[in-house]
This record gives sequence, C-alpha cells and structure tokens, in this order.
Amino acid sequence: MISEIRKHPGQMAVMVLITLFLLAFLVVPVVQVVFVAFMDATTGGFTLLNFKDFFSTALFRESFWNSIYVGGMSVLLASAFAMPLAYFTSRFEFRGGVIIQGLGIIPLIMPPFVGAVAMMMIFGRNGSINLLLEEFLGINIPFMEGLNGVILVESVHYFPFILINLSAALQNIDRAMEESAQNLGCSGMRLYRRIVLPLAMPGYVAGASLVFLKVFDDLGTPLLLNVNNMLAPQAYLRIASIGINDPMGYVISVILVVIAMASMWLAFLALKGKDYATVQKGGGGLAKRRMRPIEMFFAWIIVLIIMTLVLAPHIGLSMLSLGTIWSYSVLPDAFTLDHFRAIFSETPEYMTNTVLYSALAGGIDVILGTAIAYIVLRTKLVGRQWLDYIAMSAVAIPGLVIGIGYLRTFFDVEVPGMDGQSFATWWVAIVIALAIRRLPYALRACSAALTQVSVSLEESAENLGANKLKTVYRIVIPLMAGGILAGFVTSFATAAVELGMTLMLVSKNADGPLAYGIYVYMQSAAGRGPGAALGIFAVLVVGLCTFISHVYVDRRQRALGMKRDD
Amino acid sequence: MNQNVNLAGHGSPVGVDIKGVNLSFGSTHVLKGIDLQIKPGEFFAFLGPSGCGKTTLLRLIAGFESCQSGEVLIGDRDVAHLPPWRRDVGMVFQSYALWPHMTVRRNVAFGLEERKFPRAEIGPRVEAALDLVGLLELAERRPSQLSGGQQQRVALARTIVVEPQVLLLDEPLSNLDAKLRIQMRRELRLLQRKLSLTTIFVTHDQEEANTTSDRIAVIEQGIIQQVGSPMELYDQPANLFVANFLGVANVVAGTVSQEGDGLSFRSDDGAVTVALSAAGQGPRSIVFRPQNLTIQPAGQPAPEGLTELAGKVSHMEFLGSVVRYQVTVGPHFLLVDSAHQKGVVPMEEGTDVNLFINNELVIDLPN
Amino acid sequence: MKKSALGYGVAIFGAALVAGVLAAPVGAFAMEDKLVVVTSYPKDLTGPFKKAFEAKHPGTMVEVLQKKTSAGVKYIQETASGNTSDLMWASAPDAFEVLKNDGLLAKYTPKATGIPKNIGSYPVNDPAGYYVGFAGSGYGIMWNERYVKAKKLPVPAEWSDLAKPVYHDHVGMSAPSRSGTTHLTVETVLQGEGWEKGWATWKNIAGNFKMVTERSFGVPEGVNSGDFGLGIVIDFFGFSSKATGFPVDFVYPTVTTLVPANIAIVKSAPHPGAAAAFIEFLLSVEGQELLLDPAIRRLPVNPATYAKAPAGFPNPFKDKSIGAAVKFDVAKSGARYNLVNSLFDVMITYRREDLAAAAKAIQEAETALSGKSNAEAAGLVKEARALIAAMPITEAEAVDAKYPGVFTSDVFKKRKKASVKVPKRQAEVEEKWDSFCLKNYKDAQAKAEKALALLK
Ligand SMILES: Nc1ncnc2c1ncn2[C@@H]1O[C@H](COP(=O)(O)OP(=O)(O)O)[C@@H](O)[C@H]1O
Ligand SMILES: [Mg+2]
Repeated sequence: MISEIRKHPGQMAVMVLITLFLLAFLVVPVVQVVFVAFMDATTGGFTLLNFKDFFSTALFRESFWNSIYVGGMSVLLASAFAMPLAYFTSRFEFRGGVIIQGLGIIPLIMPPFVGAVAMMMIFGRNGSINLLLEEFLGINIPFMEGLNGVILVESVHYFPFILINLSAALQNIDRAMEESAQNLGCSGMRLYRRIVLPLAMPGYVAGASLVFLKVFDDLGTPLLLNVNNMLAPQAYLRIASIGINDPMGYVISVILVVIAMASMWLAFLALKGKDYATVQKGGGGLAKRRMRPIEMFFAWIIVLIIMTLVLAPHIGLSMLSLGTIWSYSVLPDAFTLDHFRAIFSETPEYMTNTVLYSALAGGIDVILGTAIAYIVLRTKLVGRQWLDYIAMSAVAIPGLVIGIGYLRTFFDVEVPGMDGQSFATWWVAIVIALAIRRLPYALRACSAALTQVSVSLEESAENLGANKLKTVYRIVIPLMAGGILAGFVTSFATAAVELGMTLMLVSKNADGPLAYGIYVYMQSAAGRGPGAALGIFAVLVVGLCTFISHVYVDRRQRALGMKRDD
Repeated sequence: MNQNVNLAGHGSPVGVDIKGVNLSFGSTHVLKGIDLQIKPGEFFAFLGPSGCGKTTLLRLIAGFESCQSGEVLIGDRDVAHLPPWRRDVGMVFQSYALWPHMTVRRNVAFGLEERKFPRAEIGPRVEAALDLVGLLELAERRPSQLSGGQQQRVALARTIVVEPQVLLLDEPLSNLDAKLRIQMRRELRLLQRKLSLTTIFVTHDQEEANTTSDRIAVIEQGIIQQVGSPMELYDQPANLFVANFLGVANVVAGTVSQEGDGLSFRSDDGAVTVALSAAGQGPRSIVFRPQNLTIQPAGQPAPEGLTELAGKVSHMEFLGSVVRYQVTVGPHFLLVDSAHQKGVVPMEEGTDVNLFINNELVIDLPN
Repeated sequence: MKKSALGYGVAIFGAALVAGVLAAPVGAFAMEDKLVVVTSYPKDLTGPFKKAFEAKHPGTMVEVLQKKTSAGVKYIQETASGNTSDLMWASAPDAFEVLKNDGLLAKYTPKATGIPKNIGSYPVNDPAGYYVGFAGSGYGIMWNERYVKAKKLPVPAEWSDLAKPVYHDHVGMSAPSRSGTTHLTVETVLQGEGWEKGWATWKNIAGNFKMVTERSFGVPEGVNSGDFGLGIVIDFFGFSSKATGFPVDFVYPTVTTLVPANIAIVKSAPHPGAAAAFIEFLLSVEGQELLLDPAIRRLPVNPATYAKAPAGFPNPFKDKSIGAAVKFDVAKSGARYNLVNSLFDVMITYRREDLAAAAKAIQEAETALSGKSNAEAAGLVKEARALIAAMPITEAEAVDAKYPGVFTSDVFKKRKKASVKVPKRQAEVEEKWDSFCLKNYKDAQAKAEKALALLK
C-alpha cells in the first residue's frame, strides 16, 4: 500500500478525490435515508426483521419476480431492436448509418408523462393501432396491458443503451476478424453469432446490463402505466405516501441496490478471463464491409420496421403537440400550432437550464467515468474495484431517495460566498445529483471502451517516454473517444429528462429544467398539448446537442486518423 | 505426427488464373491490368514494396474485394459470383486475426465446424493440424497467451486444417523476429511441399520470396513488373526496378553507342566505360552485382580481358562471408564484394584501388 | 450560519414568539417583495391568481413552486430547519393534517367575511385554525363520449351504477393513498353506508376497474385519451377537460362529498405579510370569482360569488343534494386515515387483477342465473359475493388506537418512550390482510365458475 502510494502518487490522489466525491454526494445522502431499513422501529437498534418481512410478504415476492421478469424480457426485446441497427450501421457501408445511429438515441430522450401518454395513444387498448386492428381485423392486441406494457415501453425507451455500447464495440473490431471467419466458410447470422457478437461482448454486456438495471429500478414507467406490483414502484409508493413512514420502502430500496450490484457482478463474471482487445493496429483494418444489393434491401426493411417501432412514442408525441383533441381516435381531430405558441414565452429558461444542467452533468460523468475506468482496469491500487461498485450503485438508487438524501444532508450547508443560500436548494446540487445518477452510464461506456484498447498501445507510448498522464491524454483518451462520447451522450440525454429527483430539489421555478416544466403542464387537461410541445422541444434540443457532439468527435477522430474516410 | 489423419490438399492441386484485372478504390487505381497464371501446386510470391497492391490482389482472390474489370479463375472456374465463404481458399492474415474469445483449439476447429464436419472427425483433424505446426500442447490456451510465432502457426493451422484449394499468406512472417522468420519460412516451404498446396505468398522481403517460392511476381504501383523464378529475376531483371528490388545492384546511367564493330557504354560523366557485346542503343543504364567485380590495390597487375575502373575505397562493411567495399569511381559509388578468409586484412578506407569487371556479366537496361 | 445571522434569527424567533403569545394578527407584518408558494395545482389554476395578485400588490413577486402533493409535503418537512416557503396550497386536507401534526404550519384566522362554516357537510376551515378552505370540489363520474358510444355503454348516474357488469374493465380511479381527495370519497362512502357495506360497494365497483392510477390526474388523463371510458374524479378535472375540448362529460352522483381546497401559512414563513395578503386575496370577491374560470372550475366558498356563475354551474349552498347526504365525521376519518388507505391498496390497488377476475366470474354467473331458478348455483353466487365483501378487520378494530398506530409510526424518529409498544409492523399486518383477501378472491372466483358450470 505505502509503496503503491510512493510509486504512483498521482493515481492515488485521483482515487482519493473521486472516493471523497462519491462519499459526499452519493454514499452519505443515501445512508441518511436507507438506514431506516435496518432500524428497529421500537428500540431504534439494528435489525434485519424488516428484510424478513419483505420475504414473507406475498406481494413483495410477486413484485420481485415481476421485476426480474420484466427486466429480462426487456433486455431480450431491446436486444432485438438494437442488434440489427448496431450491426448494419457499424460493420457495413450503410448509407444513412449516421442518421440511424443518431435517431437511435432519441428514444432515450422520452420526456416523462407525455411519453407514456403518447405510447398509450399509439399502442394502448384504444390507441391508434388497436383501433385500426379492430376496424379491419376485429382483434385487439394488449401491447400495453400490465407487464407487457412495461416491457414494451422500457425496451423502446432503453434499447439505445445497447445500441450505443454495442455499436462502439462493433466499430472497434478489426475487419480481419470477420474476414478470416468468412474465409473459413462462415457467413450471415452464423458469422454474427460466432464471431462478431462475441467480440463485441464487452459492449453488449455493458449495454444489456444497463438495460436490465434501469428497467429493474425504473419506477417512472410502471407508475405511469399504473403497474404497481413491481419492486421499484412498491418502494416509491411506500416512501412517497403522505404521512406513512413504512420502512418497507427503504427495505426495497436496499434490495434494489443489492440486485443491481449482483447483476453487475454477473456481467463482470461473464466477461472475466476472456480477451476482447481487438484494436491491435490503432486504427487500421477497421474499414467496413459492403453488402450485396439484395442484402441491403432486406437490411433496410428490417431497419425501417425497427425505427418506426422505436420512434412511435415520438411520432405520438409530435401528434399530441400538433393535435387539437386526440381522444379515442386513430389521429387527432385537427392540427394546430397553438401548443407551440403557448410554450414559447416561457421555454427559454427551461431550455437553457436543461442544456446547462445536463451538459455539466454529462461532462462531470465522462471525466469521472474515464478516471474510474482507468483506475479499475489499469492500476493496481487497493480497493479500486470498490470505486467501481460504489459509482455503479447509483444506478439502483431511486431518484427520490437521492432527492430526500440531499435535502437531509445538505440543507444546512451554506454555499460560501452566497448569502444564506443552502447547498441543497442551489442549482449546482441538481447538477451534481444528476451527474451522480447518470455516472453509471458513462462509467460503463468508458470501461467498455477501455477494455477494448490493447494495453500494448499504452505500453508502447510509455516506452517512448510518455509519462502516465501524457499516455492517458494522448493515447488512451483518443482511442476511447467513441466510448467516451457514448457515455456523454447517454448521460446528457437521460439527465435532460430526469424527473423524480428534480421534483424534490427544484426550489425556484427559474431553476427548473424541462422535465419539471413538462410535469407542471401535464397535470391538467389543457396542458397536454403544451406539455407535448415542450416534450418535442426537449427532444429536438437534446437531439441537436447530441448530434453536434457526434460530429465534433467524429471530426476529431478523422483528424487524428482514427477513422478512415469512406 | 498423428498417422491416422492425413492432412492433404484436395486430390490434385488447382491453379489460379488472373486475367486483365483492374481495381480501383474510388479514384485510386490500385491494380492495373494484372495478368497472372499460377500453376497448380506452385509456391508463388507477390513481391513488391508496401502499398503496391499485393494485399489487394490477394483479397481479390479470396473474394473480399471485387474488381471493375477482368476475372479471377480458381481451377478454371470463374469465382466472381462466389462470396468469400464459398471460395475454398484459405487465407492467413497479416495480423493473424485469431479470435481472442476462443481457445487455440476452438480457433482451429472453427472452419471444420462451419463445414459441418462430424464431431468425431473434427477432434483428430484439429490435433493433426496443431501437431503439424508443433502446438499440440498449447491447444487450450487463448491467443493472447501465445508469442507471435505461435500465433502465426495457429493462424496457419486454422487455415490448412480445412484443406483449402489454395493457400493465401499475407506477409505471414512480418511480425516475427529474424531467426524465427528464417525457421518459419523453411517450415512453410516444407509444409507446402508436403501438402502440395497451391500457395500464394505476399511479401515485401525479396530474400523471403527467393528462399520460398517457385516463382515470383514483382509488383510495383499496381503493375506486374516481371514474373519468373527467383534466379531469372536476379539474373535477367526486366527493368531497373526489378534489378534494384532483388538483391544489391550497381546501376550506372549513360549512353550506349556504336564503337568500331562493337557497342560501348559510357556513363554520362565519362567515368565509366564498358564495352558490350549486345545491347540496345541510346540512353541506357548498366547493372552489375557487387560480386561481379574484383578489387585490387592500385599498382598490382591487371587480370586479362576485364575492364578496369580506377577508384578509392570510401567505406568498408564486414558481412561475415564477404567484405563489402564502397568504392568511389568518379561521381559513382560502386559496391564490391570480396570473399573473406581468416587472416586476410581488408583494405582501409582511402586506399586507391582498381576494379575489374567481366563485360559478359553486365546487364544493360533501358532507363 | 454566521454569528450575526444567528443573533438575527434568534431575534426573529423571539419576535414571532411574542407575536404568537399576543395572538397578534399575522397581517400586522409589513408587505414583503416576495412570496413563495408550494402548490400541487396546475399552471391553469396558479397562473391567473399569480397574475391578479401581483397586479393588486405591485412590488410583490409570487414565486410558484409546483410539486406533487407528497413531494411538497416532504419538501416542507425536509427544509423545515431553514424554511424558505411561505404558503402550502393544495387540495388534499390530509397533506395539511400531516404538516399540522408535524408542527410545520402557522395558525391563521382569515378576516374575509361572508363565508359559511360548512361547505356541504365538511367544515370549510380547519377547526384548529391551521389551514383555510378557499374553494370546494365534489367527486363524481367522468366519461368519454366517444368511448361510451363505441362500446355502447349507458351513461352512469350513481356510484352503484359503476358496479354493473356492463362497465366491466371500463372504469378507472386513483388510489386514495396517492390522492387525499380520493381518500375523502372512499371515506364518505364508508361513513354513508357503514364499514362492511361501504367496503363491499367499493370492491364491487373495483371489480370493474381497468386501472387504479397512481396520480389523481391519471384518471382524467385516461378518460381524455380514451384508454378507459369512465373515471371517478374530482369535478374540476371533468369540467376543465370538457372546457379544453375533450369529448367528455361529468356528473355528480347524489351521494357525493364536497371537499375543500386549502391553503396554509408555513411555520416561520419568510414573508408572512405577503402570505396573509395572498390568503385574503383568495377569499376576496375578486379571488373567488377567478375560480369560475372554465379552466379552473372550483366551487367558491363564498356563496355570493355564485351570482356571477355561468348557467349550469353547481351551487352547493343552494342545491343541498351536493355533498349534504352524509354527515361527515372528521374525527373518525382522521383516526383511521392511513389504515383506510392501506386497506384500499392491499385489497384493491395491488390485487386489482384477482379482484377483477373474481368479479367477472360472478357477473357472468349472475347473468346466467337471471330468469332461472337453480338454488345451488344461486347459493354459490351468494357465497362468492360474501367472500368478496369479507373484511380482514372490523370497524371497531380500525379505529382502535392499536391498529392505526401501526400506520402512523414515524420511522425516522426514535420512539419517545420505549414503553409505547408498537404491536405489529405494517408489513406484517398488510401481509395478513393480503393473504386473507387473495384467498377469498380466488375462492369466490372458483365458486362463481362452479355456479356458471351448473347453469350451462
Ligand atoms: N479499402 C481501401 N480503400 C481505399 N484505398 C485502399 C483500400 N485498401 C487499400 N487501399 C490502397 O490501395 C493501395 C494498395 O494497398 P495494399 O494492397 O494494402 O498494399 P500492400 O501491397 O502493401 O499490401 C494502397 O495505396 C492503399 O492505400
Ligand atoms: Mg499488405
């Protein structure tokens, strides 16, 4: 230990700083809230009785299995959406690939409330599709009923995690890997299953485990679809009930965290001991394959079907924002621009807040994510794995718990130099809370990217006289750029539509981000159109920012010769 | 070696015909009118500097590229419409492209599995192939746990285990150390003989090409410069490029003109004049190898019937079997090899010397 | 905190204490330049009031903080140590009860005149004086015209209509644990019909539920979209949806409660003067008239305002059928508040599917039974109904301090006296109820199916 510090004082310092940050803004606030799960209500002492209660309650056991089931099925469905899109656009010369990749991120920017309404309008029991099916075929498909609805909405919403991470991994595979398999007689689906997918496993597992985690812990979707026999909504309902302070809500939160850690650990085990570093030549050999016209035709059909499906919520959202009244009909009764006009006057502050908060949060996340990934994968510091676990555990903490925890921990902390401003209600607290909540996304993406960078590339730089910092800056980060971008985009885009925690911490309307604005609108009948319009605005702005950062990184990579012009 | 399973080519080996191939990537014309006939069972090399299009030509044969004009025939069959996985040509990639997520054994078994070999047959064949390359005991390792040479052998085993009609090797030795390279190229040659497998070997190293191949195609800027056996290419280079690329050559530019009833070459500066028996006239260059020259300190009696050139030793290199002198003759630097024997003291730099050249060994080539 | 600030704080606190002791009217404070309102109301409601108030009191900026009721309560609780909010403005009386019991509200007696003591049978103001009613709202049934037309459903008029087989899988309601006003509706029926019968009515209606929503606005949202046809909602949701143009309508059943919508001053509010002024503005003629706006549509508490109301606007002070049918026992409601919510969740919200399946089977058996005489089948159906109606606890137990005590324990605070023993843990109790109900629902379904088989 001592010798480690002496050998790498810089690494150690970075690790200590990050640990302190996580302790202050994640561990302490959460512990402030969840210790209740272990407290005996009568004596105030430590007890595990509450956990016994959890497992002896039929409703909780049922909720537990429902959550597992929904998580697993969502991963399957999300994979079915993401894999063709990622494969076609990453491994082949696919016209419009960039656009597809870009559009593929949009589902993540599904504003709460309006997103659910839009899905209902399209897929609900009396949504557009079922109304059409009933009229022409006399059938009604329960897309949105019960757990089905949760699975559909979750996989449409979260499949971009797989798309982004898998694409980044696929793009890093040396073409010779595929060609040597083709040369040995392998092609088509077998090639994908036996060579391409296994090589992209770090990316796929990163994406899939994120999807599982998010679905497992997501309370927004089940709540909006009024499905409550799942764990996260059960936790929420118990924590947020007025006047009741049942410890079970916190017990469930603890269980959510434990399951989240376990699934991450499983993902880690699945990848352990295997070798995936396939970028060996630092950029060469990554050229894309060409499809035959007939293959291209079918690929396009598949891509179009998937894109229509996953963009359905946004199509619905657009119609909500442009429609006058849309009720029990295939399309809105008429179209209007009034809703956009209605939001025009107050949008700017919501907009700038959203972009500011989520860009800062995304920035903090990729910096922390890269640093943590590097410490975990490339150093021998004691306890580095724990850093990863702690950072990742944020994925499992309900936003509400963070919100309450922040108020409880920081309300009495005054911001220096700002007279009487409490840290908890300062907008910076929202940014940090967002960054903490989204750190897991960025961290997974950065880890996957770093896993794929062969250590020998770094060693050769060090061998040429570059010190650790220089190596990271000049070799590792440029090679990881794709993964870092993926991390930034996911953190940024999803932070932009975070609601649960925001609702707790916003103390001034002027500090509110878009999700808050949408919430404010969506609590009244007249607000549905303007709320949807605000939602569309959010999608456009976040989408545009995402696109710009894509273009920027792409340019840089080309300039650095990391990518061939094709 | 496992005696029960015999890895051999498909009955009789097949040839590869390349006819009038032109291939461009966008606006870069990479292969220009390539015509080649590779005979069945031949060990054939593509030799040329980096970037000349060797890999591209190899990938064309394997089916990874398609050409704008011309055709590729494998065993008299036009393969233009065949995707890579139906061509039955085995390719060993320059980077080896071993799949890191599979063990050595699984890597080697892959092609057999794809060809739907019965399980019972795959095992012995994989063992035989690994045995052939001497890696049987490393079968359960992962590629990252192997050295470069071992990886190269796995890549080779993975390819030959499926008994392809044609074996394509893309700079297979370039990632190995010098000693291993020499050992591996012999092994390759032996293996090829044993399997009597039509083999195309891509390299930028003329020594590698010379030592392994039956015939060599020298390629430069997407154009075939000359095809022939290593000795033909060395002794009768078709142009200056080939002369320079194969072995070490002294090249002097000048003019050939009629002189009496014979022909005479005279360098542009007049420092070198050589009588030639048969040559094209006009501006030409002459080429001769370092071992074609003999060297003597000035003032010693000249041998009979040789052209004499006076110069000064400017540099000396000891190469073991020979001492290579660089001698300044007028503005030219000529290389001269002198066989080395124990006890012989080489001439020092600055020594005035006479060089003698046998006119018969001088090659004249157009500029 | 800096030392001087601390001193200042003590001074303020002292002043407030003195003021409290002297019971000086809060209005005696000067008018501040800012007012922070925490509210669960939508923009449609807060916007006009903010605008009118600011116009009337230039120089005072109203800062509106929209939060879910539960988040608003948590926010005020968590920020109590350095409170920055002046007013809590929301419908749910229970939210105010919680804040009051936590000692987070300041007493305020409004000066406005002409406001009666009760609206319907519910007191307008908190009898203890901590919160003030400014409007009333009544529960009723909202439906989607297109939906009922397409599915050929009759228009309902009474709560009991919703239990009819024709409405199976067409009804939505929000959980009382999530919405204080819904809670009052549940409680009203329980008080009106009695514990056993009241719950039976709710379970019979719940057998037709398509959905129990987690937000009170989820119900009008579902009806507006046409996801389900009918919803049990508070009147302004129905009226404002209709005003927005949705093809929906609303009706008050004869037995309805009128629920006051409230406002209260938060304890140690930074701007008490402005806060008091805002309450007075709400109760003024001008403020009350704003409630008639079709997008707001609350029932004013000042009867005089109804003179200005558009035709067809219900007037609870004239039409005694609205909200007057039940004598509402506030004490009883308060004593079992959390228990009723939890019971509803355990028996209905979380077991909606099982309950609906049993209800469907019973409805089918009853339809098959009508016109036939089959004593055995009739007996089975009756038993099935009884199983559905069966309650895990009696009314006496429900108000016994022992039981509700389970639901009011604050886990964050150590129990003051170790001698105050909590008999059981909430999870334990709920699990008992759950297994009781689940078994009954399954048995009821089996019996009804058996009856149906007998009738075939
Ligand atoms: N996919 C490609 N796109 C564009 N240019 C290429 C591509 N592949 C090879 N080239 C170019 O073709 C030329 C020949 O390349 P290659 O066949 O790889 O040369 P080598 O003889 O070194 O193997 C080079 O100039 C190279 O830059
Ligand atoms: Mg090459």
